[in-house]
Amino acid sequence: MSPLLLPFIPLLAAGVLVALRSHPRLLGPIAVGALLVTGILGVMEAATEPALHLAWSPAIELTLAVTGFGRVMVVLVPLVAAPIVGYAAATERDGRTRLLALLLAFVSAMLLLVVAGDFVTLLLGWELVGATSWALIGHGWRDRANSEAGTQAFLTTRLGDLGLYVAAGATLAATGSFAFGGVGIAASPWREMIAGGVILAAAAKSAQLPFSPWLFAAMAGPTPVSALLHSATLVAAGAYLLVRLSPMLSEVWWFLPVIAIIGAVTAVVGGVVAIAQTHAKRVLAASTSAQYGLMFIAVGAGSTAAAGAQLVTHAAFKSLLFLAAGVAIHAVGTADLRAMRLGRALPGVAVAAAIGALALAGVPPLGGAWSKEAVLSGAVEASGALASAVLVASLLTTVYAGRFVLLAFGRGGAAHRVRRPGAVEMAALAVLAAATVVVSGLWLPGSRRLVEDLTGGVLAAGASWEIVAAVGVLLAGGLIVAVLNQRGRLADVLPAGGTRDVVGDWLGLPRLQHRLVVQPTLALAASLARADDRVIDAGVRATGRIAILVAGLASRRLDVSIDRVVVGIASSSVAVAGASRRTDDLVVDGAVEATGRAVGRAGHESRRLQTGLTHHYFVIGAVGLVAIAAILAAGR
Amino acid sequence: MLTAAIFIPILAAALLALLPRDRGLGAQPRRLMVLSTIVAAIPLVLLVVAWLSFDGTGGFEQVETVEWIPSLGIAYRVGIDGLSLPLAAMTALIFVVAVLYPVDLRGRPVAYFALVLFLEGVSIGLFLALDLFLFFVFWDVSLVAMYFLIGAWGHGDAQRSALKFFLYTFAGSLPLLLAILGLYLATEPRTFDMAEIIRQQPLAGTGLYATLVFAGFFIGFAIKTPLVPFHTWLPPAHVDAPGPASAILAGVLLKMGTYGFVRILMSMLPDVWAQFALPIAILAAISIVYGALVALAQTNLKRLIAYTSVNHLGYVILGLAAAGAAVTGQEAAQAIALTGATVEMVAHGLITGALFLISGSILARGGTYEIDAYGGLLDRARGLTGLMALMAFASLGLPGLAGFVAEVQIFTGTLAIWPALAGVALLGIVLTAGIFLRVLGRLFLGALPERWQQFPDLGRRELAGLGMLGALVVLIGVLPAWLLSVVDSFAGPFVGRP
Repeated sequence: MSPLLLPFIPLLAAGVLVALRSHPRLLGPIAVGALLVTGILGVMEAATEPALHLAWSPAIELTLAVTGFGRVMVVLVPLVAAPIVGYAAATERDGRTRLLALLLAFVSAMLLLVVAGDFVTLLLGWELVGATSWALIGHGWRDRANSEAGTQAFLTTRLGDLGLYVAAGATLAATGSFAFGGVGIAASPWREMIAGGVILAAAAKSAQLPFSPWLFAAMAGPTPVSALLHSATLVAAGAYLLVRLSPMLSEVWWFLPVIAIIGAVTAVVGGVVAIAQTHAKRVLAASTSAQYGLMFIAVGAGSTAAAGAQLVTHAAFKSLLFLAAGVAIHAVGTADLRAMRLGRALPGVAVAAAIGALALAGVPPLGGAWSKEAVLSGAVEASGALASAVLVASLLTTVYAGRFVLLAFGRGGAAHRVRRPGAVEMAALAVLAAATVVVSGLWLPGSRRLVEDLTGGVLAAGASWEIVAAVGVLLAGGLIVAVLNQRGRLADVLPAGGTRDVVGDWLGLPRLQHRLVVQPTLALAASLARADDRVIDAGVRATGRIAILVAGLASRRLDVSIDRVVVGIASSSVAVAGASRRTDDLVVDGAVEATGRAVGRAGHESRRLQTGLTHHYFVIGAVGLVAIAAILAAGR
Repeated sequence: MLTAAIFIPILAAALLALLPRDRGLGAQPRRLMVLSTIVAAIPLVLLVVAWLSFDGTGGFEQVETVEWIPSLGIAYRVGIDGLSLPLAAMTALIFVVAVLYPVDLRGRPVAYFALVLFLEGVSIGLFLALDLFLFFVFWDVSLVAMYFLIGAWGHGDAQRSALKFFLYTFAGSLPLLLAILGLYLATEPRTFDMAEIIRQQPLAGTGLYATLVFAGFFIGFAIKTPLVPFHTWLPPAHVDAPGPASAILAGVLLKMGTYGFVRILMSMLPDVWAQFALPIAILAAISIVYGALVALAQTNLKRLIAYTSVNHLGYVILGLAAAGAAVTGQEAAQAIALTGATVEMVAHGLITGALFLISGSILARGGTYEIDAYGGLLDRARGLTGLMALMAFASLGLPGLAGFVAEVQIFTGTLAIWPALAGVALLGIVLTAGIFLRVLGRLFLGALPERWQQFPDLGRRELAGLGMLGALVVLIGVLPAWLLSVVDSFAGPFVGRP
């Protein structure tokens, strides 16, 4: 079975949706059905590990293969997408066909990225994921702010894509091909370039610092879009790439430490941002950055297996939390956490959200706790500093997870009339909640070997004190939430005001980027454009003078050569003349007539340019050339 | 067959020129358009046939020769290889679409169609010519035809822009002529035969004479391409030209410059090219970033696209410089850079040609190129929005579309030679992404202003023409093997890849 089928089926389904757009009832079932079929196919292909080679040219071969951690992703991506797409079909009214088709195309691009076995194929999937996310984020296109948010997201991630171009070029230079296999054997300095490029690309895609703010912009999209691009697609691409490639690059001494540092800083800062935020989706978005920071820590500590496990558990509980947040936002008509407390109004949703939040906080026996434990073990093995970063990040996670679920779905809100979710929405939530519970199977014996086998990495042997530390952190976090809740400060952990706004907006990073990157670029562009215009204006005069001067000087020589040619043609064309003479005359006449008009016009224009008599030389040259052309046309 | 592809449109143009203007066929613009489209399509069919019988075993194929002036070593010689065939075929397609595309004929349909058909034959001839003299004749005649197209069917300050275009590029063709003569005088026996000159390498090495000849060619081609700082003729010419003429100018005429770089400079003066490869690459990187930055600040849609042309042709030259650089051991990367540069010529022709045609359609409906005058057009013009989005994404190098196939090869191939320059050039794709996403947002998204409530979508002819270009852009983006293998048959041997 071809690995090409995996990206092809969702793409085909997207086409079918567009064709059937006049049958709105069919759209949801077709979209979800296509994703389920893709998921089943993913299971089959994960078992058989097929590979496909497509020649683009004698020098470029595309490789698609279901291998390594890709075997998990080909199942995870469509199966997480299916309930989200079902939710989208049930909740979105404006441009539903477009939204569903784009979601399917998005999944298709992600699957292409997952099965890529070389850098060109990877770039294909990688950038198509970015472009479809642009369209998805800007889905509500009548409000231009949405498409501008999409543009910000696309530009930020594309800046990171440059890293992949660099990695691709360096692999080519080192090995003469684009295949991933060459990464491990590349010599210095190409190896360092690949390492740097991969870090840049992965950090931008996985919303690590300093690129994190684009995730807030991405919140402009509808809720299902956020749910999908935060769980198993787009953001997951960066971590996935590291799981695939980092073992081959570990010989670059700074490679793993840099990844670990990026991850640690993002995990801590993201946690702080999430605690400061009062916008429901932004809390979850900051949390996504932070959770991917944990995956970066695991990769940096050399435990790709822990990173892979964290990616899977995160995909389940984060999509669940986003959909729950979407229901809450729909219910009260605002994303402000302070206006929710929907526990009484929506008890079912509250239970689902609580499962997601517990998994996010890392409460055993949920799968999220297992993977966090694995990350901690890896970090402990690498360095004490890294381990403390994980513990601090875990504490923050517990606090914002508890804060989120209490504010959104705690009791105590007025039992005001709210919009209730439909059956499909509840089903989507139930499926994702069930998935979150099912991955608790990671606690069963034998799971370590399975995870190591599926990710191709190793898990660190955990020490018993780590469990104690993790539980201690959980309890401390829980206590903090309880105290804050008691004092009524859960919504306003930081006092409202300028400081909180800055902290909640990535410590002012977007404003800094705007001042240091965006504004200078635009200012430079504007001043270059003005300078260019001045050159053009000056050019109208100067180039006119220069060109005519050159023409005047050169036309003497030109005339000589033209004379020679004309004489030559004349003498040799006598024999050919007969039949072609008439055409000859006509063409020449036509051309000369036309040129005559041009001469008049050119002369007039030239006078306006105050160039004096020299234009005659120029015009003579032009006439001569037209004549040659005409003779040529007729003479052959 | 190649000769027919060149001269059928030229002969048709001559016959059209004989038509009376105010009666019979001459007074029926629609039938003229249909007839001209059919004639314009003949070279395309012939070149497709030539493509199907193309071997790609190296060297020129399907060569047709007619003795002309033996005493001067001038002959009519045409033929194809992996470089010229894709360019000639792309040229033929662009002309079919340009003839088909609606345009304000200003009451002179006969002259318009005759000129466009004449220019088609001349342009195809330039890419197929295997004789320097023939090449030069086609080169100059194309200027004259374009001058009339801009001057007589343009808008705004068309006369002035046309003259400027003509003066500037004609000034470029004078050093080109001197360089051709300089090269000719060095051959022994004297000949204008390009294949023979490439075999002879009369100016091997990097002496003063060779450098002077190189400089002549370089100025001529750099103006035509255009490479910064020789680009200032381009924006006014594009802004005032009618849509189809702009498409031809960007799609075909600019490629004459880049084609000349490969066919003449790199092939006939490889040592001098290698000597100056790094400065040329730096100039190309400047073109890439400068063109993109200036485009970013434009408010006029057509000027904006014109400056992105400067940016894209910078990519081409960068790839060519890398391919001709004097390094050993990176032949695989150099072949990829050369293939990428060649594919970029084709891709830019299709994509930017389409973008200019779309600008013409927008002007015809809204009366202005000012981007901020529009908004929310997605509501009224789905076809226009879809095709513009397709071409904009292709232009910013989105994978799955033709531009990416070219650019990924240029960047990766160049990176093996000059990593730092490749890094600078890569910034161009972030800038172009910003440029085109902004344009899409301003034109098509947001609220629909009251005045565009009746904004009509594309007509059938526009959809057909742009659809053809779009289909090819997608085909090359997804399944480029048929194109890349032909180009590679030229690029691989050229860089001496083992």
